[in-house]
Amino acid sequence: MSALPIDFALAWDSLPQMAEGLVTTLLITVLVLVLGLPLSVLVTLARMSRSRILSWPAAAFVVFFRGAPLLILLYLVYYGFGQIEALRDGPLWVIFGSAFACAVIGLTLNHVAYMVEVVRGSLNAVPAGLVEASAALGLTPRETFTYIRLPLAMRYGLAAYQNEVVMFTKGTAVVSVITVIDLTAVANELFEETYDPFTPMLTAAAFYWCLVNAIRLGFGALENHLNRHQRREQAVKPTTPAGAAAAAAEPPAGAPVAPLRRMIGSDRRPVPVKAAAPALSTATPKEHAL
Amino acid sequence: MSALQTETGPQPVAAPRPIAVEMTGVEKYYGKFKALSGIDLTVRKGEKIVICGPSGSGKSTLIRTINRLEPHDGGTIVVNGITLDGSPTSVQDVRLECGMVFQQFNLFPHLTILENCMLAPRLTRKLSKTQAEALALKYLERVHIGAQTHKYPSQLSGGQQQRVAIARALCMEPPIMLFDEPTSALDPEMIKEVLQVMEDLAEDGMTMICVTHEMGFARRVANRCVFMDQGEIVEEARAEEFFEAPKSDRLKAFLAQILH
Ligand SMILES: Nc1ncnc2c1ncn2[C@@H]1O[C@H](COP(=O)(O)OP(=O)(O)OP(=O)(O)O)[C@@H](O)[C@H]1O
Ligand SMILES: [Mg+2]
Repeated sequence: MSALPIDFALAWDSLPQMAEGLVTTLLITVLVLVLGLPLSVLVTLARMSRSRILSWPAAAFVVFFRGAPLLILLYLVYYGFGQIEALRDGPLWVIFGSAFACAVIGLTLNHVAYMVEVVRGSLNAVPAGLVEASAALGLTPRETFTYIRLPLAMRYGLAAYQNEVVMFTKGTAVVSVITVIDLTAVANELFEETYDPFTPMLTAAAFYWCLVNAIRLGFGALENHLNRHQRREQAVKPTTPAGAAAAAAEPPAGAPVAPLRRMIGSDRRPVPVKAAAPALSTATPKEHAL
Repeated sequence: MSALQTETGPQPVAAPRPIAVEMTGVEKYYGKFKALSGIDLTVRKGEKIVICGPSGSGKSTLIRTINRLEPHDGGTIVVNGITLDGSPTSVQDVRLECGMVFQQFNLFPHLTILENCMLAPRLTRKLSKTQAEALALKYLERVHIGAQTHKYPSQLSGGQQQRVAIARALCMEPPIMLFDEPTSALDPEMIKEVLQVMEDLAEDGMTMICVTHEMGFARRVANRCVFMDQGEIVEEARAEEFFEAPKSDRLKAFLAQILH
């Protein structure tokens, strides 16, 4: 055993505690993602708005929270707001008094600030011709946004979004500085109890590794689903009568509108970072440029 | 609203019919660049107009002002009684009057052929799913795509995609159809199938304004041809005169180039 720096017995015994920490990490991650996505879209729309009353505060928000170091941001939210007496006595103290809630708030602000650029780039990547075609069909700008721009932007932005989610998930480790017991905090506690510098940290690392790869697989599945219109291209292209007939039989007659809904509802993102970039660049010209 | 006139063929219309599109003194600027100057054009119901001219002469700009994809800066445009004054209702109304087909097809890549055709009728005409689907299938049959409705646009050839784009516009049952170089992005063997669909449409009495350099199509279908250069309408004539006896030197030069 001594050749390896890892004490397997300790690792095994620490699993229940680690799992608790992982649950906290997961909870924070999921909450921030769920809050962050709609907020990102809203702030992006404000940012892209022609009205300065909307675009300037949004731009200021992005500049401030992208620049603000996350660690200091968390300190400020958790310890800083505690100094404000009115807040301490008010009903909002339920939120600002809780380290967990403060962690979610701080991380969300940071995440949204990064996501605004991702969402903006993706929306801008939607070919103008498609937006025009939609307008020419009599769709209102809002309908065009909901049914054309957003679903397409989601596909273009998936690779960048996956990157941000992975970085951010690993980054949740900072919440331990404001007393939230996440995966990293558990590892740290164990280290202080056992003075084993390797085992708890490596065990926690293994958990993070699994989490990140689960995210990767999830994004892979989602990307496959969203890009089915491209994937089937190769499968169906040789339009033999038999192939066409088989394909024709495949979706139920009523399918058309339901998938639309699904697309608009979903959001996460697939595929490893490396594979995603080509998917983006081949998709766009191939479909729109002809 | 009905496109059921039975008049066919390229003969000039005898009794004046109601006016579909009337442009008077239309001007359009891109910044300081004047893209359209003093455009006067009247199109009556059931007429087929072909617009041609050199690249950059303002053909696309003209046709796009009719459904207000480009707002115009001077003059007036009236489409089926709707004055294009930029109010949101007039914009929405005029887009229901005009179907548009683009050079680049512009099909929605994430939707199947059927979904492409059903989207606008469902949202804008508030049709039920069943109604919209029946409508979409009807027009897809008409452009001979009935068997491929579940496919995505990228799985079709260019000619097929353009025919779907025509069907998608027809699903809104507009009284006027605008075509902006619908065959320019197509390989030669696919041009014919798209032109055939357009000719069928013309025979059904649709009011059509086509920007195209397909001179055969213009001769067979157009009531009138319009030649544009540098943002102006230089010459406007019945198809035969237009090709056989062009008056202006600019049109002569252009035709010489086109017909090699
Ligand atoms: N969005 C724009 N901004 C600035 N200038 C423009 C814009 N769109 C068109 N133009 C200019 O207006 C002029 C007319 O353009 P338009 O697209 O109408 O020409 P066209 O006759 O359709 O040419 P083509 O046959 O190449 O399609 C061109 O000189 C073009 O450079
Ligand atoms: Mg053009």
